[in-house]
Amino acid sequence: MPNKWATLLWIGLLGLCFQSGALGMGLRSFVALPVEKGGTVLRGVVSHDNETNINQLTANLAYGIDHKKTLLVGAPYRLSSGNTERLEDFSLLYRQILSQVDEPKGTRRLGLLGGAVIPTDSSRDGAFQAGAVATWFRDKNEWDIDALYQVGTGDRRDSARYDLSWQHRLIPTVYPEWGIPSEVYGVVELGGRWQKGASFVHQFTLGLQWTQGRWVIEGGVVQDLNGPDSTGFLLSVRFH
Amino acid sequence: MKIMTLLTLLMGITFPVTVFSETLEIEINGMTCAFCVDGLLRKLGKLPEIAQVDVSLKNKKVRIDTGDEKADIDAIKQAIIDSGFTPVKVHAK
Repeated sequence: MPNKWATLLWIGLLGLCFQSGALGMGLRSFVALPVEKGGTVLRGVVSHDNETNINQLTANLAYGIDHKKTLLVGAPYRLSSGNTERLEDFSLLYRQILSQVDEPKGTRRLGLLGGAVIPTDSSRDGAFQAGAVATWFRDKNEWDIDALYQVGTGDRRDSARYDLSWQHRLIPTVYPEWGIPSEVYGVVELGGRWQKGASFVHQFTLGLQWTQGRWVIEGGVVQDLNGPDSTGFLLSVRFH
Repeated sequence: MKIMTLLTLLMGITFPVTVFSETLEIEINGMTCAFCVDGLLRKLGKLPEIAQVDVSLKNKKVRIDTGDEKADIDAIKQAIIDSGFTPVKVHAK
C-alpha cells in the first residue's frame, strides 16, 4: 500500500479508536467547554491555503479525563503536489479548567493549556507549549478567547497564536420545550499567528456550523488582514 | 391448609409489593449548546435505574423517568457533574 494512503488510513484508524463525547465550538479557537468524563470528540479538518496552495488534513481528538481535565491531540497531514506531502508534527495539549461558574443562562470558564509538539520526523525539532483559554456562553452567544506560546527546541523557532471567537445561534431562534434540535451557528473569529523572525499575521474567519445530535459540520473562510494577504478555506466534521 | 391460606393472605396485605416509578425534573446550570448536552444524555442514559431522559435546553432542565426502579439521586447528580454541568434543584413529579 502506498505510504500516503497508509498514513491516511493510520490517521483515520487513530480517530476511530476513540469515539463518543462532546465539545464546543470555535472554528479555529480553543474552547473551555467540557468534555464529559470518559467522553471523546473526534474532529477531522480539511484546510486549503491559496498563497501556498497547500492542503492539510488534520485529525483532532479530545478526551475527557474528567469534566475539568481534557487531553487534546492533533495530528496534521500535509497534502500537496510534488514531493512535499508529509505527516506533520503532533500537538499534545492538556487543558485544566481552573474556574467554572455555571448559571441558568450559560457559563463562564477559564482554563490553562500545557503540552508539547512532538516531531514525526528526526530532521525536525519539537516544542513545549503553554497558554490559556476562556469561554463565556450566554443565551444564543458564545465567546472564546485563547493564547498559546510554543518554545522551540533545537532549530525550531518559537511561535505563538491567539484567537477571539464569537458564535451566534441563528437556528432555532427559540428552543422547543423538550428535545435537542438541530442548530446553526454563525461564526466570526479574529486570530493571529506568529513565528520568531516574522511579524504577527492577523486573520479574520467567517463561517457556519450545523449541529445534529452527535455530529457537527462546519466550514469557513480565513482571510489574512496583513502580511501574505492569503485566503484560506476550511471544512470540518466533528463526531461525538 | 386454611391456616396457610390465611397466613399468605395476611402477608400479602401486610407486605404489599412496592413498585418504584419516579419522574424527576432536575434544573441544571451551565447547559449551553445541543452538541455539548449530548454528553449529558449519554451519561444519564448509562445509569441502570433510568428508563428515559429528556432534555429541555429552553428551560435548562432534564426530565428522568425511572421505570420500575428507585432513583439514585446522588448518582444522577454525579452524572450531571461528570458531564460538566451543575445540578441545582430536583423536583419529583
